[in-house]
Amino acid sequence: MSKSTITRRSFIGAASTSMLGLVLTACGGSSGSTGATATDAAASADYTLITPGKLTCVSDMAFPPMDYMEGDTYTGYEVELMEAIATKMGLEIAWLPPTKFDTIIPLIKQGGKADVGASSFTITDERKEEIDFSDSYLDSNQGVATLKSAGVKSEEDLNVEGKKIGVQSGTTGEMWAKENLTNATIVPLDDPVQAMSGMSTGLYDAVAADLPVMSYLCAQSYTDCEVSIEIPTGEQYGLVVSKDNPGLTAALNEAYAAVVADGTEAELQKKWFGAEL
Amino acid sequence: MSLRKRSERRGAVAIVTTLMLALSLAMPTSALALTTNKATARPNEDGGSSVIGGLDTRLTWEGTVEEGEEVTEVTLMLPDDGTFDGATTKITVLDGLKRAKLEGEAVANGSQLTVTFKEPATAGYLLRLEVEGMRFPSEGGDIVVSGSYVNQAGEQTLADSKPIKTIANTPLQALVAQLDEAPWVQAWNSNPFLGMFFKPQLLATAFATLVPGWLLCLLIVVIAYPFAIVLGLVFALMKISKHRLLRFISTLYINVLRGTPLFLQIYIMFFGLPMMNINIDNNVLGVIVIAINASAYLAEIFRAGIQSIPQGQYEAASSLGMNYFQTMFSIILPQTIRRVIPTVTSDFITSYKDTSLLSSVGVMELMMFAKNLTSVSGNMTPYVAAAIFYLVVTLPLIKVVSIVEERIANSERGGGPRPKGKNAAKAAEASNGAKLSGLAVHAQALDDEHAYDSAMGQMTPSYASEV
Repeated sequence: MSKSTITRRSFIGAASTSMLGLVLTACGGSSGSTGATATDAAASADYTLITPGKLTCVSDMAFPPMDYMEGDTYTGYEVELMEAIATKMGLEIAWLPPTKFDTIIPLIKQGGKADVGASSFTITDERKEEIDFSDSYLDSNQGVATLKSAGVKSEEDLNVEGKKIGVQSGTTGEMWAKENLTNATIVPLDDPVQAMSGMSTGLYDAVAADLPVMSYLCAQSYTDCEVSIEIPTGEQYGLVVSKDNPGLTAALNEAYAAVVADGTEAELQKKWFGAEL
Repeated sequence: MSLRKRSERRGAVAIVTTLMLALSLAMPTSALALTTNKATARPNEDGGSSVIGGLDTRLTWEGTVEEGEEVTEVTLMLPDDGTFDGATTKITVLDGLKRAKLEGEAVANGSQLTVTFKEPATAGYLLRLEVEGMRFPSEGGDIVVSGSYVNQAGEQTLADSKPIKTIANTPLQALVAQLDEAPWVQAWNSNPFLGMFFKPQLLATAFATLVPGWLLCLLIVVIAYPFAIVLGLVFALMKISKHRLLRFISTLYINVLRGTPLFLQIYIMFFGLPMMNINIDNNVLGVIVIAINASAYLAEIFRAGIQSIPQGQYEAASSLGMNYFQTMFSIILPQTIRRVIPTVTSDFITSYKDTSLLSSVGVMELMMFAKNLTSVSGNMTPYVAAAIFYLVVTLPLIKVVSIVEERIANSERGGGPRPKGKNAAKAAEASNGAKLSGLAVHAQALDDEHAYDSAMGQMTPSYASEV
């Protein structure tokens, strides 16, 4: 008899635990709904989305030609690729307002705001500790842009005390500069466009960032600059997904494979890079 | 005979030289089959740029396969107690800028790491090995990565890399490691709020690394402020002068600077001047921008202060036969200074905080360091540490403002300490002082000339009692 009696203390404990459970489920429920309806393979359809029926993506939108803003519309290779992937998954795409690059991974990790980080993230082992990556969807390298008039030819020209290198905070470009240009001062900035305009006005001696972006910016916007050093790093971009959502990673991989298979990817590459890569 | 012998000897010499030449030619080609391009390590000092031994970091090694060679295996070696154990290796093979489809496998064994390629890497390929989570010897020093590789002719020695500078563990890093282990820290960090804003390890790192930024902030504002005071006084006198042109110039200056955000002024100066080929050091430019911006606010403070001096003072001065300048500098301004000290101090606090905006244009000040550390750690604690650095300066100054205000209120009331009811008077004064300081700061924030003037004019006992 005494065994089945619930003392007051244990009752309070049990009640608060169940309340906590309720609150937690409520939180989870509001931010997630299970299942993708239109995927061909039902087996991999086990993932949660922030908004049901919508693939919520986040990017810094400051990385032309990958992802950037034209007026107030989002455009770029990555933006169109994500649209194609979402269509394959039977989802609508929704972009969060542009978010600073170095805050995207913490944001995905924390959860509750976006499903996918699509902002030209290089797959690195270090980042893999925080989040999951999808299969890679593009190869990239590093590039260093300088003013044409500066006559920079090699890393040694820049690895000098007092030289200032503008980089985007939290990028592999920043890591490369910190590791290879140890004598120079590395100035982390919000985006590569800010770094380039700073360089063209003389604030920085060089800008280090992903090669496709450097080439694009030098060709399109900053014609007095050039990519003076190409650094083969063979890095690969991947989509960033929370570790709590492995089903979504699998579904993204599947949808991406379908986008490659039906030639959409090749088409987009021709459109944005002038050639299939 | 002798001729013959000589020619024989000559022949032998020739053969030997040819042999030696052939050997010397053969040696470098075999040694260069896989050229070591470079070996670098990622800085792993929290908030710093050094490579610390004994702590996890990433080694990047690059080598190029030379003409006519086929490399199947590469082994990297570290000095004695460096270790590759527990590390993950990313193998990238590049043909120019393109990734080559060549896979490999890495096996770590203590200070050795062997990478075996499934197919041989042929000429022109760049081999890139990124070893994440390896450790350099804990005593630090210049570390040379050596090793060997296997080509079609067998095992060859790899050329040594250029030395990588590493250092022994710093006391700070040791403290962080200690905190990592401590159970109370783990319990503390398991709370999402405390872990995100008050992570002890990061607080320790941030306090150490933010100091240079903090000093630069102080330096900028301390140098800028005297200039701002002089400029502000000049424009204040211009604004109350009888000449219309002077009044116009000063009004324009003050209104434009007070009517636009400081952020915009910073952008115009930092991006505009270099476009006109005027290149000034960033820090100096920072001082200039802060000084000019503060001068506009100070001009208004001084003007209001001067105008708050009763007309009777001017009349008394002129009855003594003083001219304008004598009146200003020996009668009016000394009284003004006393009255504006609290508001000028508040403005100084504002300017000090405003230096944070300079981080967006690459001045290495407090916010910049905090931003860097936050972007590296993905944690808000460095910002909290920065807030503490700001408060260390602003809180004492705010206290100074309230004390000075209290004294001024006291002296203008004509009161010193009273012989009777000492405690009651003190308490009343204290509360008045607090209210007044709140009011002054409030007026400053409102930035409204009217509210401001009333605050200035009313720094008298009558107002204090009204409050």
